[in-house]
Amino acid sequence: MSTPLLTVTELVKSHLPNTRYWSRWNIRTAGRPALDRVSFSIMPGEILGLVGESGSGKTTVGRLVTKLTPSDAGSIWFDGHDITHMPERAFRPLRRHVQMIFQDLDGALNPNMTVRAILREMLKQNFKHTNGETIQTQLNDLLDNVNFPQSKLDVTPLQLSGGEKRRVSIARALACKPQLVIADELTTALDLPIQAQIANLLLDLRDKLGVSFLFISHDLPLVEFISDRIAVMYAGRVVETGSAVVLAQQPRHPYTRLLWNAHAGAVVKEELAATLFADIAQSGCAFAPRCPIFKAKGEPSRCTDPQTEPTLKLIEVRHQVACHFPL
Amino acid sequence: MIGKPHLEIEDLHAYFYSQQHGAFVRSVAGVNLCIRRGETLALIGESGSGKSVTALSALGLLRGSPGVVRGHIRLHTDKGPIELLAGLDRYVDYELDARGSLRISKEISAWERQSRKNFRDIHGKEIASVFQNPRAAFNPYLMVGAQIMENIRLHTPTKLHHEAYDQALFWLESVGLEPAAERFENFPYGLSGGMCQRAMLAMTLAAEPKLVIADEPTTGLDATLRTAMLELLMQMQRNLGFSLLIISHDLQVVRELSQRVAVFYNGVVIEYAPSQTIHNEYDAPRHPYTQALLDAQPVRLSPKPRKLIALRGEIPSPIGEPKGCRFAPRCNRARGTMAKRCENESPPFFSPEPKHAIACWLFANSPEAHAEEIA
Repeated sequence: MSTPLLTVTELVKSHLPNTRYWSRWNIRTAGRPALDRVSFSIMPGEILGLVGESGSGKTTVGRLVTKLTPSDAGSIWFDGHDITHMPERAFRPLRRHVQMIFQDLDGALNPNMTVRAILREMLKQNFKHTNGETIQTQLNDLLDNVNFPQSKLDVTPLQLSGGEKRRVSIARALACKPQLVIADELTTALDLPIQAQIANLLLDLRDKLGVSFLFISHDLPLVEFISDRIAVMYAGRVVETGSAVVLAQQPRHPYTRLLWNAHAGAVVKEELAATLFADIAQSGCAFAPRCPIFKAKGEPSRCTDPQTEPTLKLIEVRHQVACHFPL
Repeated sequence: MIGKPHLEIEDLHAYFYSQQHGAFVRSVAGVNLCIRRGETLALIGESGSGKSVTALSALGLLRGSPGVVRGHIRLHTDKGPIELLAGLDRYVDYELDARGSLRISKEISAWERQSRKNFRDIHGKEIASVFQNPRAAFNPYLMVGAQIMENIRLHTPTKLHHEAYDQALFWLESVGLEPAAERFENFPYGLSGGMCQRAMLAMTLAAEPKLVIADEPTTGLDATLRTAMLELLMQMQRNLGFSLLIISHDLQVVRELSQRVAVFYNGVVIEYAPSQTIHNEYDAPRHPYTQALLDAQPVRLSPKPRKLIALRGEIPSPIGEPKGCRFAPRCNRARGTMAKRCENESPPFFSPEPKHAIACWLFANSPEAHAEEIA
């Protein structure tokens, strides 16, 4: 077994405002952090799907791993280096190995630059001692890899369709030959044929170049299809990880079951009604107020006591669940 | 109630001028649709196939040059039918000759003045819309409740301030935003994504529209919120009995919400189908394009297939008139003996089974579709 490419342990991040400043106006500054002791790992050439509802911290994970945002506690190991507190200058040679594809396309691509300029800038930055010809061949390889037509190299992103912009942003992430790509909501708002093309593209790239992906998405069937393993997040923590097939078909955490059932349209009305005013418990298991098992078991104190907050436990081979009463 | 037509769109044509190509770009080219009272009709198809432009035309919100150039949109209200595009054709000079060359000139300002006049009593009251991005639909500087109240006082007989306030609370409650008095005072940024979407639905429905147009109402919502939103839409429709036109990329949403589906491709409708046929497990005759849409969905099979089946080729150029079937260049059935016919003759609608019309030469043995099936 090879060593993991990326290992994240007990990562904590809070977006809470400055207490001393805000408490003057009685604005609540306590509460759960955006990420609470998140741990997972990605193997070389593996696609890890990250799912969970809006606001559960999926994008924050991506931003911390690429060091776009500093973390509060915990550690991130990438390719044998501890990058948690690595200064920017020392991290720079590694940065090209961890790339992110952003969710907001119009914000991610400079509208004043042509596609050629966007990709060349990336290639020049990361392969400094190469001449123009080499860059040109690399550019062509890149376009081949993502099936982007040569004829559209000299247009600006505004003139491209959603699917084409996606391809450009994937090409840009791949320009510096990364080992890990964080794909944040790659297929949101794309139509089905384009979505299928992009999904196939990722699988191709993984097979050809051996790139690992952290695939963040709301689209459960697609995540299930594309990923090797899935991690489910709720309220800033990972509540279940396991192989994609097992997790989708035999979920052990009640929240995972709710997610997949909701998608299949086979969900109990009361569970759904609770969704809108999702009370996230301030102590103990965050899911407890919405949990059917919690109610069925007569609200056991283990679930609400901050001392016995459930943590990820191995219950099967490569299947971890953070629940006192797994299904 | 179902059966009587509510909104009829006949032979709608819309073009835009492209500076880059120096030519008119076809967006919608001869679309016929009919939404019956209390019915839900879904529009599906790729991006850029003309779904949203069709919906915006029916809302009278389509701006741009030249925009709508020809067609009829007839709305059946309680007081009788209204032509929404009445008196507009005299501002447009539109000609498409047999060789496919196109001439369009339009007096935009006069056209828009007349259009606004036609839609004045329709907007919000008869036809209302639910947009994709709820936060953009609200004014960020006003309380959510105040905006609902404004809609009520503008469009319904309730004019008094305190009565409208009570009404607004009622609507907030009915979409599940409780306690309503507190939610009334929320600003849009103070609501979560799912709550904001519900508040917008409350605002839309507060004017008691007869027809609601929902453009991608669930895109970007997570699985639980999406299901909750669908439940709510269905429940509201059962209670209030409005007709619904929904646009979505998500075939599951389409199946759950709608009774009929119109499949768009390249500016025209290529199939009108009952929505239960839009399912892989359902063995029904289908247009090859509809089949390709279905195949592009991720499937749960074991062992897992290595790849999704993606549709090859690019969307055909929207400039100029295509000869033959618009889908032929990408179609896997337009090969061999079929090829010549598919590439040269545009297929009419055939009806291989009742209430199902497909524009494809594969079904040439079936009878031609009736007029009511093609709408």
